[in-house]
Amino acid sequence: MKSLALNAFFYECGAEILKAVRAPEYILPTLLMPIAFYLLFAFALPGAGDNNALYFLATYGIFAVMGPSIFGFGVGVANERDRGWLSIKRASPAPAIAYLGAKITVTLIFASLALIPIYLAAGFGAGIALPHSVWALLLGLHLMSVIPFILIGLIVGFSLGSNGAVAISNIVFLAMAALGGLWLPIFLFPDALQKISITLPSYQLAEIALAIVDAPTPTDSLRVPSENITVVVIMTIFLASLAYLAWARQRN
Amino acid sequence: MSLHFNELSQLLARLQPRKVQPPRKGECTIMNSSCLQSASPNTSVICAQGLSKKFDKNYALQHIDLSIKSGGVTAILGANGAGKTTFILCCLGLRKQSSGILTIFGDAPGSIVSKRRIGVMLQDADLPDLLTPREHITLFASYYPNPANIDEILNTCKLTEFADKKYRKLSGGQKRRVQFALAIIGNPDLVFLDEPTTGLDTDTRRMLWDVVRKLAKTGRTIILTTHYLEEADVLADRVVVVKAGRIIADGLTAEIRELAGGGLIKCISNISEERIGDYPDVVSVRQNGRFTEINSLNPTSTLRILLSEDQTVSELIVSKPSLEEAFDTLNNTVSESTV
Repeated sequence: MKSLALNAFFYECGAEILKAVRAPEYILPTLLMPIAFYLLFAFALPGAGDNNALYFLATYGIFAVMGPSIFGFGVGVANERDRGWLSIKRASPAPAIAYLGAKITVTLIFASLALIPIYLAAGFGAGIALPHSVWALLLGLHLMSVIPFILIGLIVGFSLGSNGAVAISNIVFLAMAALGGLWLPIFLFPDALQKISITLPSYQLAEIALAIVDAPTPTDSLRVPSENITVVVIMTIFLASLAYLAWARQRN
Repeated sequence: MSLHFNELSQLLARLQPRKVQPPRKGECTIMNSSCLQSASPNTSVICAQGLSKKFDKNYALQHIDLSIKSGGVTAILGANGAGKTTFILCCLGLRKQSSGILTIFGDAPGSIVSKRRIGVMLQDADLPDLLTPREHITLFASYYPNPANIDEILNTCKLTEFADKKYRKLSGGQKRRVQFALAIIGNPDLVFLDEPTTGLDTDTRRMLWDVVRKLAKTGRTIILTTHYLEEADVLADRVVVVKAGRIIADGLTAEIRELAGGGLIKCISNISEERIGDYPDVVSVRQNGRFTEINSLNPTSTLRILLSEDQTVSELIVSKPSLEEAFDTLNNTVSESTV
């Protein structure tokens, strides 16, 4: 029956892509906002230069993958659950792995679409020259960053109704971006806010990305990405447990 | 309203040989369960024993004993909130029972093996707006090992015309047809239809009834919940009446119809309800406008007494009770006798 699940997976991918492209008003902002912000902060604002373009390449890459992950899963799952669609699916032999796998695959496709213009602007616009291996490592990190954000989306999607999910997804998305230092480095924030920042996966992931591209630190502190990686892994396990609990609560 | 509980409960007992009883303390229900005993192909498709479902402090289902054999249409009939939907959701594995045993094809509800043999149309379930009926049905067909032909199903459900229109743009009846198509695309042996025709236009209702009859003819088992008595009357071989989470009657459709008594007498009479209620064989009496309606196990003898006592009787009609009247009587009787 493995081929049945695989077959279902391809159909689910097709359905997810069709749903997304037929609602461009939802998908376009998440694709265009990151590149627009990147161009603004890395090129247009005063003080822009090579360093900024490199620094923001690392952080806006995280920002770019956050949108499709949090909104795709948070709002998408809440909406399908709300209208009873998930109940029909769960009563049917639809393989859960095909449904989730397709949603993750399509999230990765849209995350890539959001990343491409930023990479192009950084490479050709700002003339950032990095070894191929560093580009590849950065891309790998940016794409893997969808995991914790997808888990956050799942928790929101399984816990809230569709209206609540839209509101909470927006708050989480903006908080992760602003407080996580994706828009501006957190050393510009007051101390209290900085303490909050380091608890966010967006900040921790951005730190790893910055270490990969070896962007000059705005402060003198030394980067230890292994610490950030450990924190991200622990956060991901914690989020996965919460997502599992939120999912298991469905059947009572 | 005056009722003779004894006669009615005798009738009920005849139809329900198994007494509804909570399991005694220390009794191992699993060992005694007939649900688990044999797995030969001709045993129950659905088997419930002492099935209860509690939400907070309220029972949605209370000690349900029900065995449904392969083939035919069973209607689960009851008012809103009687527990019909909860029962279906338990059968699908979407709700977990609080106690008791429930098996579907001899397996736990929600197992992948049983799901491959089940089709379902839920009451409050809507599909994603931006896919077309054809896309929805194609996707759903991919879940089943032996799906039906997609164009055939579109045709059967009278969807061909709108097959490529977005679901969002369909009318309410057309949407229900798509949901029904999803219930039967997998060639299921067992089909659950939870209030399938609530709020439907007559065309769609007829189509659905036709398809249900055809499915039943090919040996499928159909479980449908409804509060339309007409639907149960027309479609079902067997009717299970539920009220407040309990089964209050269970039998062939004709038997349930008989339950309210042998006949319904409708006339204009001067005699008080109380007095008529004391006649032998009278099950219930009620005043409906100018008319007195008498449910009697033996309408001939009741009429004889009535006509001898009241010379003014006029506009007399004697009829067989409809399922609706039977259902009303059952519903009222049980509410008063269980208090």
